[in-house]
Amino acid sequence: MLRYAGSRLIQAAIAIFGVLTIVFIVMHLSGDPTLLLVPQGASTQQINELRHQLGFDQPLWVQYVNYLKDLGHLDFGMSVVQHVPAAEIVASRLPYTMMLAAGALMVAIGIGIPVGIIMATGRGGWLEKVLAAIVLTGQSVPTFLSGILLIAVFAVNLRWLPTSGVGDIRALIMPSIALGAISMSTFARMTRIAVLDELSKDYVRAGRARGLSLGAVVFRHVLRNASIPVITIAALEIGNLLAGAVIVETVFAWPGIGQLAIQSIQSRDFLVVQVIVLLISCVYVLTSLLADFVYAAVDPRIRMVR
Amino acid sequence: MLKTFATTAALAASLLTSAAYAQAAKDTLTIDLPNDAATLDPHLQWDTDSYSVYRNIFDNLITRDTSGAIVPQIAKAWKYTSDTVIEFDIRDDVTFQDGSKLTADDVAYSINRIIDPKLKSAQLSQFDQIIKAEVISPTLVKVTTKSPYPALLAQLVKLSIVPKAYVEKVGAQEFNQKPMGSGPYKLVQWQKGVQTELQANDHYWRVKPAIQHVIFRAVPDVSTRIADLRTGKADLIRELPADQAISLKTETGIQILSVPTERVGYMYINAEAGATKDVRVRQAIAYAIDTPGLIEALLQGYGAPVNVLGAPPVFGYTDKVEGYKYDPDKAKELIKEAGAEGAKIEFLTSPAYDRALVEAIQQMLNDVGLDTQIVSLDQATFLKRRQGDAANAGSVALGRWSCACQDADGIIFPLFRTGSSWAKYSNPEFDKLVDGARSTLEKDKRLVDYQKAYEILRADVPGIGLYQAYSVYGASAHLKWQPTANEAMFVTDMSWQQ
Repeated sequence: MLRYAGSRLIQAAIAIFGVLTIVFIVMHLSGDPTLLLVPQGASTQQINELRHQLGFDQPLWVQYVNYLKDLGHLDFGMSVVQHVPAAEIVASRLPYTMMLAAGALMVAIGIGIPVGIIMATGRGGWLEKVLAAIVLTGQSVPTFLSGILLIAVFAVNLRWLPTSGVGDIRALIMPSIALGAISMSTFARMTRIAVLDELSKDYVRAGRARGLSLGAVVFRHVLRNASIPVITIAALEIGNLLAGAVIVETVFAWPGIGQLAIQSIQSRDFLVVQVIVLLISCVYVLTSLLADFVYAAVDPRIRMVR
Repeated sequence: MLKTFATTAALAASLLTSAAYAQAAKDTLTIDLPNDAATLDPHLQWDTDSYSVYRNIFDNLITRDTSGAIVPQIAKAWKYTSDTVIEFDIRDDVTFQDGSKLTADDVAYSINRIIDPKLKSAQLSQFDQIIKAEVISPTLVKVTTKSPYPALLAQLVKLSIVPKAYVEKVGAQEFNQKPMGSGPYKLVQWQKGVQTELQANDHYWRVKPAIQHVIFRAVPDVSTRIADLRTGKADLIRELPADQAISLKTETGIQILSVPTERVGYMYINAEAGATKDVRVRQAIAYAIDTPGLIEALLQGYGAPVNVLGAPPVFGYTDKVEGYKYDPDKAKELIKEAGAEGAKIEFLTSPAYDRALVEAIQQMLNDVGLDTQIVSLDQATFLKRRQGDAANAGSVALGRWSCACQDADGIIFPLFRTGSSWAKYSNPEFDKLVDGARSTLEKDKRLVDYQKAYEILRADVPGIGLYQAYSVYGASAHLKWQPTANEAMFVTDMSWQQ
């Protein structure tokens, strides 16, 4: 087990290093922030001077080696736009992203899993058809549209919720629903498939033959067995929710990592982008690692194999 | 029944009036900006969202009044002692928000700080004609420039005065987080990425601010900014697209504020590479564009036609040079003459430019016989290509130019002077004129030079002015404010009204 975890961690470190290198190269090849920073009328000489002061006139490999050196000392560098340590900027946005991801996950799991179970057990009935329609809507309406619709209905017309920004818990409701809707559909579909798959197995039939009710079979036996694929999805979704909230964060003026990432890419604020990339790749790696360990806890057979 | 209705109506009316009154009398003004301030240290970044906030915390050495004239602020008066030396007489009744006195020392420090390459200020290019600032007496500062520099005062309008002692005590980083100046508002809290909260400085020397609290929020999505305005979460929103402004105009409780600015929408035409190297093709492009039609249909009237690449608030602007009138037949003729039928025109663009405008112009150019292809890039790549080699800089591209200095030197010099990164054009005669106009303090001579320079640009067409851009804001009907041509957002100019 320990050896397994160790090799997984080494793989993860290599993956993260690769991602950092690729992002570094792609970002630097597509232009530096100097032109975006100077006022419009700056002369070529002035532009070159600022580029020199910021260090973007050095060969790419020199910049890369310097970057790695600093990284080795856990120095993530300064934002050239904000003149603030890049790590500090990202850290200040992290709580908002986590809050939003938690809200969205509550929507996704809290609605998605029960809906999936109901759809599987009530297969073919009218309830499944209604729920399937809802799931499909949740999955196919893009967030920029659902976000604006939510604002128009609940904030502008009904005035129940604040339009945008952060504040009390009410400010979190609409962004969580908009962000969680797509994950909710994924959870519902995966749960439905996994439960259906288990329902066709012999032990279920045996249980029913012994006189157990469908509910009892599902809750006592099926759910535990059906949970493996759902856990995999959950791990991936946590990564997505932490990293992929760009549009929701923009629409709701929610100051999270996604919004910061897109703004930093646009302004070529390299070091901030690098910190975000590092963070997000760590999140992905850690959640998938965590999922592996949870499998082992849920299903002893996996422990045996490894 | 009727009576009940009347009572209800009366009650509703009284409620509305009192609500309106409460609205009018409230002491917090909320402004939605598209982005958070990048820095609050006024010597670092110069982008609209940053300076909209920090210029309220600081005073400027000099400023512009509502008519656009340069008037005293921290400097009471100034005089040139030679072509390259100017002396500023500093007020002695101004204090910073911590109670310390503002002196000539702070003024000289502010100038020397921003021109110091070590600060890595993005604004350096606006002030780098200054060699140094020296303190002559507690109320007198001497500024020396490299050569006679007529745009100096126009540039100094943007210089915020920072407190030397405070900056040196807390250091540059801390100062950027917790700025303190002598301006009408002081910082309460800067919640990064969320909002900046300011509070009126009760001891402000110039006026008593009518509004006690101001919150600048960062709301990137325009639909959300509009929803904020509709629900009263915001009282003023910046960067409102023309089509949205038109639809908001009729709503009760909302007003649209707009003002012609010094910013010019223009089209650059590459005179050094591709099909547009031929001046006849460039002229044809100028004739092919129906500018009044574009302003009417796409800018919804929030723009004014211009004859040259400049606008009335700009020193050096002239109405004596004739612009190109829409004449597609003449354009076709010129293209035929140049043998450029079906010539490939590469139209560079980025998300910063209105896609509808780009496509409308593409259509107009194709209508007169050119083959225009739009190349969409992100802003950084767009700038890299547009300011790079002529061969790679596309045939045409849109731009929206403002030097925030209201002087032709800040417009046509960087755009067209040989050797400038923007120029894909070279004409020694033009260079001589703009070089001359930037190194003399004689206003009349400068005006004459700029008129001649604009005449050359008309003949050579390395670019054309399309429209004078308007700043468009959405505001609560209770806000009283007249926006100005330099796109500044001074809260002291705002107040509540019934």
